[in-house]
Amino acid sequence: MPEEAPAEESSKKALSYSKFYGGKVMVAPKVPVRSLDDFSIWYTPGVAAVSRAIEANSDLSFEYTGRWNTVAVVTDGSRVLGLGNIGPEGALPVMEGKALIYNYLGGVNAIPLPAKVNSEEELIAFVKALEPSIGGVNLEDIESPKCFDVLDRLRAEMKIPVWHDDQQGTAGVTLAALFNALELTGRKLRGTRIVLFGAGAANVAAERLLVRAGANARDIIVIDSKGILHPEREDIDQLLLRNKWKYEIAMRTNGDRIAGGLKQALRGADALVAAAGQGPDLIKPGEISVMNKRAIAFFMANPVPEMLPAAAHSAGVEIVATGRSDYPNQVNNSLLFPAIFRGALDVRAKTITDPMVIDAARELAGFAKEKGISKNYIIPTMVQWEVYPRVAAKVGQAAVREGVARRKLTAKESLQAAMDTIENSRKIMRTLRRNGIILEPPE
Amino acid sequence: MEIRNAQREDLASVADLIVRVKRLNNEFDPLFAVVSDAKARADKYLDSTLGQPDKLLLVAVEGQKVVGVLRAELRERLFYEPHEEGFITEFYILPEFRRQALGNEMILRASAELKKMGAQIIVGEVPSQNEIANRFYIKRGFRGLLNLFGKSP
Repeated sequence: MPEEAPAEESSKKALSYSKFYGGKVMVAPKVPVRSLDDFSIWYTPGVAAVSRAIEANSDLSFEYTGRWNTVAVVTDGSRVLGLGNIGPEGALPVMEGKALIYNYLGGVNAIPLPAKVNSEEELIAFVKALEPSIGGVNLEDIESPKCFDVLDRLRAEMKIPVWHDDQQGTAGVTLAALFNALELTGRKLRGTRIVLFGAGAANVAAERLLVRAGANARDIIVIDSKGILHPEREDIDQLLLRNKWKYEIAMRTNGDRIAGGLKQALRGADALVAAAGQGPDLIKPGEISVMNKRAIAFFMANPVPEMLPAAAHSAGVEIVATGRSDYPNQVNNSLLFPAIFRGALDVRAKTITDPMVIDAARELAGFAKEKGISKNYIIPTMVQWEVYPRVAAKVGQAAVREGVARRKLTAKESLQAAMDTIENSRKIMRTLRRNGIILEPPE
Repeated sequence: MEIRNAQREDLASVADLIVRVKRLNNEFDPLFAVVSDAKARADKYLDSTLGQPDKLLLVAVEGQKVVGVLRAELRERLFYEPHEEGFITEFYILPEFRRQALGNEMILRASAELKKMGAQIIVGEVPSQNEIANRFYIKRGFRGLLNLFGKSP
């Protein structure tokens, strides 16, 4: 299990290293410059022929330029990590980190682009204006419920994949871990009673994805800061006007119309996914002990889970996962988003559909299963490199099946393309380090 | 689902729905801030409605559960013809029972009852900013008659 540096030490190093390196990613050439004459090919006058070809067929921009492998990592800085609305400049180091992970684990050229915008409309207009230059969009750290509307509208209006990692990424990786936890406890998704504690980006998306994957909406209970969502909650009309996503969840979930709080929801529940806020005592042993036998609980808050694994086990929970690497079963978006985009970009996908995410989750779960799942290993770890191209290939194949791929690769071609691009990215890193272009960090 | 005249045993549930209407109105304008004892006031308000010849209190009931309410009263239009209006003061359906044509049925039933009571036109009031409610009435052939303007003095 990889060690996680204590927060204080990580912070100290992050400040020192960030100053030393002056940024985490860069734009580097990928064509040879043998002499200045080559610029007449890469630039004017030769490049005009390429421009004319693309003018005639804009999809050629995916073949003749780096668009096919470029993703914009966009935020308005309105909800960055646990820091709140710290603005676009404050968000830049986070977006750079995301871009680095995209590159290293997925071979994706990701460009950090925090934007100074004053409204949801401006954010949407900004992202849409980027479309000709990029193959995909990763939305990041946008406050809820704005993030739902931004994602829905951009997905509907753009012809490239738009992904909000806080929604689809977290939901997808949660689903993967849940598949194996259910397997270990002898359950099927259909019929499992699932409580989603917290109704922010991750759990709102998780509810949708769980239902698409086969869960019965009536067996799901979602809890927000005011209690269990149900159609007769006092503020239901407010939700209709202010947060239609939660309103719809209230309408379709919780078939038994249970009202109250966490304890009422957990009575007789099989699985809990908490994405509700910092622990370690946000969930009490007395609340969780009323779950069914062989209970499953995921505590997603970082850095402090809603409940510590030892306390959950003591209260009778059999399988526990968290967002942290120093406990078993780290449910980490980084297992998913690089591979999702690798697969989507390789087939020049026009969007990322929910079935593509579900297939990715199944492959992640399947990979762990091949290695041998146990209550301390329900999901692969980030060091298991071979999982990324495998998940990417499944995503690519799902895109072809869903009819959203511009380029129809076979399963074998998808896998090979993903392996080649990811390996190339790692090779570049090794080469740059070996040659002293990327220096070792200061002591 | 049954639509019928409210009975005394319905009133506690109906009062809850009336308070919901008022809270919903508050979503559209702070001048509709709901008083803290709204439920007690609703109880009294409904008590004075029940059994009055110039007032109508319809409920929609699913099994034993009251899921919708429509309250209306006859009002005299002193200077206008038609002279008698059936004025819908409150109309609310629990969210779970919306989108099932229940609202339409309640309006039709209320219109018929109010006509029998002497109403020559049917009028309903909703907050100006409540576009969903505005669309509901317009879709059923109502048109805007008055704009009500308000501000703090």
